[in-house]
Amino acid sequence: MLGRVDAELRALWATAPAPGEIPKARACTMNLVVVASSPALAQQWTPVVDEVVQGTPARAIVVGLEADGADALEASVSAVCTPAGVCSERVTFVARGGMVTRMPSVVRSLCLTDVPTTLVWLGRVQADDPAFAPLAPEAGRIVLDAAQGSLSSLASVIYWARARGEAERPGVADLAWTRLAPWQELCAQMFDEPRVRALASQVARLTLVQASAPGVELGSEGALMLGWLATRLSWRAASFAGKLRLLRADGGTVAVTLKSAAGPDEGRSALHGLRLEAGGAGLTMTGEIAREHDAAAWRMEVSAGAGDVRRIEQRVRLRASDAAGLLERTLRRPARDAALVDAVAWADELRREELACV
Amino acid sequence: MVEPIAPNPLRRGLLEDRTSDACTVVIFGASGDLTRRKLVPALYNLAWGRFLPGGFAVVGVARREKTQESFRAELKDAVSKFSRRLPIDPAAWNDFERGVSYVRGAASEPATYEALRAHLEKVDAERGTRGNRLFYLAVPTAEFGPIVEGLRASRLVAPPGQEKSGGAWTRVVFEKPFGHDLASARALNDAVASAFDEAQVFRIDHYLGKETVQNLLVFRFANSLFEPVWGRGHVDHVQITVSEDIGVESRGAFYEQTGVTRDIVENHVMQLLCLTAMEPPISLAADAIRDEKVKVLRSLRKMERSDVGRSVVRGQYARGIVRGEDVVGYREEPDVSAESRVETYVAMRCFVDNWRWSGVPFYVRAGKRMARRVTEIAVVFHELPHALFRAQDGGIAPNVLSVRVQPDEGIALRFTSKEPGQQTILRDVSMDFRYGTAFGSNTPEAYERLLLDAMRGEATLFTRRDEVEEQWAYVDRVLEAWAADGNPPPPLYASGSWGPEQSDDLLARDGRRWRKP
Repeated sequence: MLGRVDAELRALWATAPAPGEIPKARACTMNLVVVASSPALAQQWTPVVDEVVQGTPARAIVVGLEADGADALEASVSAVCTPAGVCSERVTFVARGGMVTRMPSVVRSLCLTDVPTTLVWLGRVQADDPAFAPLAPEAGRIVLDAAQGSLSSLASVIYWARARGEAERPGVADLAWTRLAPWQELCAQMFDEPRVRALASQVARLTLVQASAPGVELGSEGALMLGWLATRLSWRAASFAGKLRLLRADGGTVAVTLKSAAGPDEGRSALHGLRLEAGGAGLTMTGEIAREHDAAAWRMEVSAGAGDVRRIEQRVRLRASDAAGLLERTLRRPARDAALVDAVAWADELRREELACV
Repeated sequence: MVEPIAPNPLRRGLLEDRTSDACTVVIFGASGDLTRRKLVPALYNLAWGRFLPGGFAVVGVARREKTQESFRAELKDAVSKFSRRLPIDPAAWNDFERGVSYVRGAASEPATYEALRAHLEKVDAERGTRGNRLFYLAVPTAEFGPIVEGLRASRLVAPPGQEKSGGAWTRVVFEKPFGHDLASARALNDAVASAFDEAQVFRIDHYLGKETVQNLLVFRFANSLFEPVWGRGHVDHVQITVSEDIGVESRGAFYEQTGVTRDIVENHVMQLLCLTAMEPPISLAADAIRDEKVKVLRSLRKMERSDVGRSVVRGQYARGIVRGEDVVGYREEPDVSAESRVETYVAMRCFVDNWRWSGVPFYVRAGKRMARRVTEIAVVFHELPHALFRAQDGGIAPNVLSVRVQPDEGIALRFTSKEPGQQTILRDVSMDFRYGTAFGSNTPEAYERLLLDAMRGEATLFTRRDEVEEQWAYVDRVLEAWAADGNPPPPLYASGSWGPEQSDDLLARDGRRWRKP
């Protein structure tokens, strides 16, 4: 099988261009290994990978896993070219039955040397998973999606990476975390103005809204957002009468309300809205972010008394549904992200069963 | 002394994007070509890529009467023609357009600045731009002074450094050319300094925003392979070429006042030379890098009048064929005198008199209507001390490392290799790195990088006052020598060639020849 794949890869570049055809140039800045928990998910992500390699040329290896069924390994090879003739190679595999655990050896043998390897894992995984464990140490960066997998998967991989030596520690990124980046930026903007900045330590109320039916527990995006706010603003979590309480560094409390609403991406309980209220020393600030399809409306009101009220509004595109853009942005972020590690560690300690959205 | 305020805790470790503080970009010359072709498409591309802050606005200032709607429509048309992100993303445009507005006014009228101030205060309240302003002067040099004075007199300039204590910031971007000679550059710098602190001033040289130019620092100082051979011990000479295949087009009147030496050599070529010759900076801080560039400029061997005839060649393009088309000579271009003595080509032999480069000539040339549009830096290494292989086997050309700035940005290393076969036949081959094929082709435009840097207050890719003055001081000696010599007519060269014959002689006298990049 591997011999055939190798031969097909060589054959891609062995043919001279036809008269009038733009000559094709092979380009590669990384090995992009995308492992999906099912063949269907791999198929769904193949066009996403093709789009990503247009901007980040790579040897892409897309693998769909299916542990059940008879042992089988299917492979196909193709070149993915830009209109200018810059081409990436894509090898697609479906591994079934016992071939799932042999897959890492196949992938490793196809990775090019001297370029970094990024491993994108789509679905739930634990660091000791027999398909994941041999591949992860090969990667300079591992990308997960806590919203499609789980927060515990992300935590497991982060803890595994943290236990490795500095020189061989891969960066861990998360697509859900990248989706939250515009939300984080908008939250940060609420406290950019110097006179409002002190209110960052005076937040009294936080409302998180997720796209889900009532009663569904807080999803990964909401939990990561909560973890991010808490670790940046030095909040501690405490359980009180079966409900989450947040304690500020000054001993004050932050009242937390978790709500649900109908909205896009209910399947992954996407973050749908957020409201922060803070006040002190004659000044109050209310900031609100509300998702509207693929954009967010941001409103902020600062009040220093009846006659001194200022309101600012803006709209920001989230591009949450642009999977290729999301993966591309994730690949271009710095590999190490201490804020993600902090937020995951904080959120992982929450008792999620107490966090149902009403 | 004002206490610095504590940083925003939610910004700690925030990785997303290189956004700036909330701010308004005020473009003087909003009806001009630069605004249409470069600035607004660059700002839209930044908005598309989510590099702009949430609180953001663009205010155009120009003389023409326009409604807000017509100005926005004009900008949308410009983006639809010149953006690298096409077709326009309607959602991205709508978000961007909400922050676009227009103020009519002339640079010389105080009322313009009063109207602008009132408008900016309104924008601050509506858009949350917090009084932070980037003034972009996309206007002729003659208008720099009046605008600077207008901004100062109407109190539109915030004191420098107050952003550290939570106050608003003001920055100003000047397009090239910055002055006409050393005296005018100094006068302009003095006028600017009367209103702005140097830390608030961003003099743009768009070449510095190009990926390959930025990559020069990375290439030289992030690879251990090249720095040890980067100097007189291994380098025979350096060639810097900035050639264009176009003529002066509609800029005949402008060119009659400038010529290629002022238009290209004083800024782009000097900057390329600095980045090639500079020592490693002590850090990547803007002033650390600019300090090293200034040292190079100060190390340039002063061109005595008697040297100019031997070390500088100028030329003017005559009729010829470019890209298969017949083209007219410079003196036949619109708004150009039939007896013009303005140079459209210049070649110089320069020396950087310091430890590293002593005795290594830097041959630089710039010209219009040349054989090809290309900008490159070529480092030509010494020939071998002993010829082990026979010349009849193919000969051995010196190794050349060429940094291609445009087009086909990249780096190539020429070396000698054995041709496959029973005999030892030598061939020159090239190890070729091209941005387009290595990283895909969607690299940001220079103006995107530079605009965002200015908004973020990062000055590394902008020219400092002393750099500009040193550049003019060097070039002025050449211009003065020509003037003292009665400004003789430059030798003509055929359009589509590599310049006048005298240019080839300049290198031939040293036993070298120009590359044909």
